[in-house]
Amino acid sequence: MTDAALLTLTQWLSPAFPLGAFAYSHGLEQAVAAGQVTCAGDLARWLDRILTCGGGLADATLLCATLRGEDTADTARALATSRERRDETEAQGTAFARTVTALGTPVPEGLALPVAVGIAARGLPLRPERIAALYLHAMMANLVSAAVRFVPLGQTEGQRVLADLHAAIRDTAARAATLELDDITACVPGADLAAMLHETLPVRIFRT
Amino acid sequence: MLDNATTDLPKLQRTRGAARVRLDAAGLRDLHQSGSAKAMLPKMHGAPPEVVFLNTAGGLTGGDRMHFALNLGPGARATGTTQTAERAYAARDEVAEVTVDLDLGRGARLDWLPQETILFQSARLSRRTTAQLAAEATLLMAETVVLGRTAMGETLTTLDFTDRRRVLRLGRPVLIEPLRITGADLAARGAAGLDGALALTTVALVSEGAEDALGPVRDIIGEAPGLAASAWDGRLIVRAMGRDALAQKRRIAAIIERLRGAALPRVWQV
Repeated sequence: MTDAALLTLTQWLSPAFPLGAFAYSHGLEQAVAAGQVTCAGDLARWLDRILTCGGGLADATLLCATLRGEDTADTARALATSRERRDETEAQGTAFARTVTALGTPVPEGLALPVAVGIAARGLPLRPERIAALYLHAMMANLVSAAVRFVPLGQTEGQRVLADLHAAIRDTAARAATLELDDITACVPGADLAAMLHETLPVRIFRT
Repeated sequence: MLDNATTDLPKLQRTRGAARVRLDAAGLRDLHQSGSAKAMLPKMHGAPPEVVFLNTAGGLTGGDRMHFALNLGPGARATGTTQTAERAYAARDEVAEVTVDLDLGRGARLDWLPQETILFQSARLSRRTTAQLAAEATLLMAETVVLGRTAMGETLTTLDFTDRRRVLRLGRPVLIEPLRITGADLAARGAAGLDGALALTTVALVSEGAEDALGPVRDIIGEAPGLAASAWDGRLIVRAMGRDALAQKRRIAAIIERLRGAALPRVWQV
């Protein structure tokens, strides 16, 4: 039963699931263009911040609260820090909802991604911190993949950064499972600013 | 016994204060103040009322509790600000708590423009700002946090600061900015975090058509470093971060003046 649920969740959160995630860099493209992220070390520090006290922790907390049955849609929308961030999470949430609905798990469109995933995953017999860890892993893997292409970094270097984030992914997921929506906090002013600056970046390959 | 005496002492010194002001379209309706919180309404000679809040204790320390509230009736317009920068001093165990409640009736407009909050080494402050907007109400708000006495070159290493800013429209959250800065955040390296910034500012305009101001605001921002804007769904957000708190305050001042179509409150020290 748990193995079946794990396979379902792995499919939903795999890069092959059609969310269009590859089009979003969560502000990383701006940071690369500005020379703030130029090597694997910069990338690791950038991702660790986002994961542990930025969009990662916020999304994981929203996801866990949604799994508990809470109505998190408005809070998720209100936490968006810029127009592109709103687009990033809602476009992926809608793409996710369409596909899982077609596969037999109905989820409404127009929700932020962690809310849509949380609604879909309510029926899975998995612990919330496990679901959140896989979600965060997918989020970080997508950003590593973006960085490998555009910093650029070697594939192995990128995978090493991701592997080194595993402990922080587990910690953040475990923490998120204990938090209420009101406990969500953030301290990523650099990443928030980058996400806004991306809107006026002259040459853009990513949508965020 | 001696231990008890020393631990009891700070409790006596804790500051309590509450100031509540209610305005309607015709002007002041109600003003309550207690403890070390005060609210003043300087003569405005025809301009919309300005409410100036003040903590007469001169700053915040562990265990202090301050409450400011500003209530605008339907169609009322006002500016809310603070007499001086708010200083949060070192605290040993207890956190200082500040609550700000802003209530805007239908079609009301509030410019909530407190002066900056200066956090001293080892400060512990939890602030919660909640704005409740009725239909067609407009809120402009600006919050600046300064990390340490920058003129003295103070570098913070220990801090416990939480600043929850929430705007609700008809009871539903439309904007949540839950900033939290601890010693770990101050120490963290990398450009996604504080990255050495000593001043953080967020300006938010929440109103129908707030997006229309994005072009003019971006014109003011130009190529200035550490400053950016975005607008969507009836909100416009400007963020700034940098090491020069005064230069940042001046840039933000120009943006605020553009967004409110009026000069800054006179108490602002720019």
